[in-house]
Amino acid sequence: MQAALGNEAGFEALCHLVAPTVFGVVRTVVRDRFQTEEVCQEVLLEVWRCASRFQPGRGSAMAWVTTIAHRRAVDRVRAEQRAADRHRRAASHQIDYDAVIEHVEARLDAQRVRRCLSFLTPVQRESVTLAYYCGYTFREVALLLGVPEGTVKTRMRDGLIRLRYCMGADQ
Amino acid sequence: MRRRLRSEPHTLAGAYVLDAVSDSDRAHFERHVTRCPACARELAELREATTRLAQATAAEPPPALIQQVVQSAKQVRQLPPATREASTRRAGRAPHGRTAGRLLPQMPARLAGALAVAVLSAVAVLSAGAVLGAVAWQAEHEVGAAQQRAHQIAEVLNAPDAVILTDRVKTAGTATIVMSGRDHALVFTAVGLPQLPASRCYQLWLMGPAGDRSAGMLPSPRDGITSPVIASGLRAGDRIGLTIEPDGGTSRPTGAPILLMPV
Repeated sequence: MQAALGNEAGFEALCHLVAPTVFGVVRTVVRDRFQTEEVCQEVLLEVWRCASRFQPGRGSAMAWVTTIAHRRAVDRVRAEQRAADRHRRAASHQIDYDAVIEHVEARLDAQRVRRCLSFLTPVQRESVTLAYYCGYTFREVALLLGVPEGTVKTRMRDGLIRLRYCMGADQ
Repeated sequence: MRRRLRSEPHTLAGAYVLDAVSDSDRAHFERHVTRCPACARELAELREATTRLAQATAAEPPPALIQQVVQSAKQVRQLPPATREASTRRAGRAPHGRTAGRLLPQMPARLAGALAVAVLSAVAVLSAGAVLGAVAWQAEHEVGAAQQRAHQIAEVLNAPDAVILTDRVKTAGTATIVMSGRDHALVFTAVGLPQLPASRCYQLWLMGPAGDRSAGMLPSPRDGITSPVIASGLRAGDRIGLTIEPDGGTSRPTGAPILLMPV
């Protein structure tokens, strides 16, 4: 009997359990198939490498894994597109953000999350989804939505608080 | 911008957990969090929401991906647990810039003595959330009963006392169990169980002083993975047994257990 992350067989079992979430979130942000797989491998190896440093008192391990996955994915798309270029494109409204959000929402498999997102105000929902699923910074989101940066920051926080409440209350 | 952030760092918490901040905003906010226990708590709460956002996108990765990761892991040394000294060092920028320290700087060093327990329960929560992701994904493709089962599984996985145990199966493969004493239930999954002929099946048992009770048949492994199965009615002194039985299962185990785990 062993703690599952301390040995390779256990790690493999755990990989099978976390991989769908890691793969899903990385693919949503990165989109490119080849890069998605590359980032997923980096993420899972990071989990293996740092397993002993995880501290369960401060949130669930799944939150830890998805934090690694999302940040790696975002780092990858930002490295791909230079910030200045993205700012320019955001400022000139060349991105059809409605289409982006619709695309993401259509792919959201979990009905509960989709339902809870629908309870947010439009700015909350757009701020949260553009940031989380498309990898935009709050400044870029502000440009995209034509809303002050301070407003976007508070809408992101309020939106997440409402989401958490909705999904927790739903169980 | 710096001045504005400094005057109202709390408002950045949402953008921070969404990774919607620049590197400099991130570094600034992380410095603030080390001095703000309330912020650390809030981040953990907000991450419950982003974790759900991530799980909602769950999809099956190409099977080769995990094989490659497991192969690569053999070449990668696991880091020792963080010590106080190491966590001070981590405050500086790590050469790769993506270490656990940078990812989770709000977490203080933990006592080395707590390691074993911590890793064990960490893994429990890890699988809990992960299975939940996979289950949520599956539920989309099935209906009714499957959704009900998904909820039952999620219950066990989210139980605060959930622990995980792994053990080798005698024939081949590794079994993983997430168990909640509070819910008197467990979730069973396995990797690498050999495919059986159509006339045979894997049957799960709760074996204890109260007698052997069937906990149901396992679904056939797909690509070497056995989907999660829930077993409830767990009693004190029970062990988890796995046997190979005629297809359709039996009321009592007839084969010798190929796995027997005390829980």
